[in-house]
Amino acid sequence: MTEPVRASWYDGLTARKREGEAVLSGTQLLLHEDGGDETAITLSELRFHEKKAEGPVYTLDHNTGFRLRLHGEVPGDMAARLPSGQLYGHWIDRLGLPKAAALFAVVSAAALAAVYTLPAWLGPMIPQSWERKMGDAMLGDMNNVVCHSPAGDKALARLVNEIDPGRPVTRVDVANIDMVNAVALPGGRVLIFDGLIQGAKSADEVAGVLAHEIGHVRERHVMQALLRQFGLSLLLGGANSDIGSTVFGLASTSYTRSAEAEADDYARERLDDANISPEATAGFFRWLSEKGEGPSWVSYISSHPAPSDRQEKFEAAIEEGRDYRPALTPDEFAALETMCEDDPDVEEFGF
Amino acid sequence: MDSMGTGPAFGGPDGGEPWHEEPAAPETAFAFEGNWRDFAKIAFTNLLLTIVTLGIYRFWATTRERQYLWSRTRFIDDHLEWTGRGKELFFGFLLATVLIILPFALINMITQGLIFRGNEGVAAGVFIASFLVLFYFSGVARFRALRYRLGRTHWRGIRGGSYDQGFKYGLSHMWKYTVGYLALGLMVPWAMVSLWNERWSAMSFGQLSFRSEADFSPLMKRYLLVYLAPFVLFIAMFALLAAVTFGFGGMENENTALGITVAALTVILMVGVYAGWGIVYLAFYAKYMRIVIGEMKLGENIEFGFHASTKDWLKLIAVDIGLVLVTLGVGYIFLTYRHWKFFITHLEAYGEVDPDALTQSETPMSKHGEGLLDAFDMGAI
Repeated sequence: MTEPVRASWYDGLTARKREGEAVLSGTQLLLHEDGGDETAITLSELRFHEKKAEGPVYTLDHNTGFRLRLHGEVPGDMAARLPSGQLYGHWIDRLGLPKAAALFAVVSAAALAAVYTLPAWLGPMIPQSWERKMGDAMLGDMNNVVCHSPAGDKALARLVNEIDPGRPVTRVDVANIDMVNAVALPGGRVLIFDGLIQGAKSADEVAGVLAHEIGHVRERHVMQALLRQFGLSLLLGGANSDIGSTVFGLASTSYTRSAEAEADDYARERLDDANISPEATAGFFRWLSEKGEGPSWVSYISSHPAPSDRQEKFEAAIEEGRDYRPALTPDEFAALETMCEDDPDVEEFGF
Repeated sequence: MDSMGTGPAFGGPDGGEPWHEEPAAPETAFAFEGNWRDFAKIAFTNLLLTIVTLGIYRFWATTRERQYLWSRTRFIDDHLEWTGRGKELFFGFLLATVLIILPFALINMITQGLIFRGNEGVAAGVFIASFLVLFYFSGVARFRALRYRLGRTHWRGIRGGSYDQGFKYGLSHMWKYTVGYLALGLMVPWAMVSLWNERWSAMSFGQLSFRSEADFSPLMKRYLLVYLAPFVLFIAMFALLAAVTFGFGGMENENTALGITVAALTVILMVGVYAGWGIVYLAFYAKYMRIVIGEMKLGENIEFGFHASTKDWLKLIAVDIGLVLVTLGVGYIFLTYRHWKFFITHLEAYGEVDPDALTQSETPMSKHGEGLLDAFDMGAI
């Protein structure tokens, strides 16, 4: 038996307050009500609830309404056997706040780093066919935004064939969207926006941009970006619950800088193989860098390395005196330029 | 009606005979006894832990905050106790994620695909269906959050709760708001009040049921102000702009000055219109809270009141905004404290409580917290 301590309690059955004394006896806590009954509580069922100015408050496992308040100083031998409470939570209390905070910070940083780096090698491991099915589910055939004309289709097919001979993996279309942009979408699908074709000075320029987007497809950057986005939204639990809410959210999902550089390398390689001059592509980047950041919707610029660096790299790839041939004949390029105009079925796609 | 503390009879602190004390200085049944310095210790450690855990700690943070706020809230002679757990809130969040957020993300993606395929009709159908489901669950969520909060609130060892799961309330929520908005939005106060009544009448504390029988009609005058304010304010704004433009028109070669003045005035007036409309809405909301709480009863003997005037609300919001701005956002962590204190300070109860007769609630308790409500980002009581 320990020294009695003044106590008050509620039994969790009625709101009647009981006052008396508490003593520890073996594995039990005995509560003597002043001028009344004695209640025995099994010590192992007692839980700490909170610390109040006048003393600790306890509750019971199976009776959350039960409240025991000890008043004044609790003798040491009794205090030692009573359950203790939580301050920040189990794990944190055990480690102490500074250590726990540091540990959480390290784990969080590691998780973030993993989400940024793992997709680079996880992405290529996901079969192309899965990505294609996913892309189809998300995008369908996009018939109402994509432009077709017999001559334009032929010209586009030739351009793609020059740049990407292993074509079945990639599907390239011209979208009736008036923006200077091109995107690689899930499922090996590349869209060149009509605005880019209208703004291009030559087919070579279109070829350079196209080769860059095909590079994203070939290097599995789309899947990587999707995985990264998915990982981030999982990690930031609900903070960004809008997983893949819009296709253009996905399209503008930024690639890492190294992915952009890889796609550029791929583009130069393909242009070289196809014997198309990189000069026009360099010109495109010159135009971009002179234009500055431009309107925010030109995502093509914002998520990419500085246009001036890229301009220099494409310029460096030009071989003096080499006998380049144009990517398309003037007639073919003209067919590409009027493709959306000539398609009676296509809709203007706005945002 | 007498206030609790000065009332003729209510159970004494020992739960024995009703108390026959001489009416002392008027004391309120509800009082908040916390101070912001104590709360700051909780709020700042919560902020730290929430950041380093990428937000996961926020459920435990909420629990710690509530434990403090509840334990510093006195009702008659004893404090409230929050017995909710971080785990429950976390579990509720996971449940909401699996049941609502993930399916909707998926549906969203499919709908996008449908639009790209040119199946706008089907997409619109899917969109409307998912909107209806969300509409329904936002009602259910509101109900269940209130039930959860009452179930985890103890006073003298007694808790609240509800026998109702809230699924029928979800339907009421849908049709009442639909009617409210269909009537050119004019019946919204009716929807708000009648849903409040429905929600609270399903709740109980101990064995005592809550009842709420508020009438929406006293709200209509202020609601019409809210309704008409945008028109009136915009007309006033254009009139003022026109007057300024016209006034300047009298002078010559003042085009630049005129342009700048008009632009500046437009901005100021736009802000003014929004602020003005906000104040009118606050006046409506202040009255709404006074009316719905004022018509609430617990059991046969306990009635409630809420006495925050529009000016009180205005001060609350203005200081909120000032606090957040001056502290560059950090003050945000004190808003729950400020709002709880505001709520308790203006809350009043009248009547008598017999502690011997107040017995434990037998309502079922859910194991999960306010996940749905979190998912819909909805507020308290």
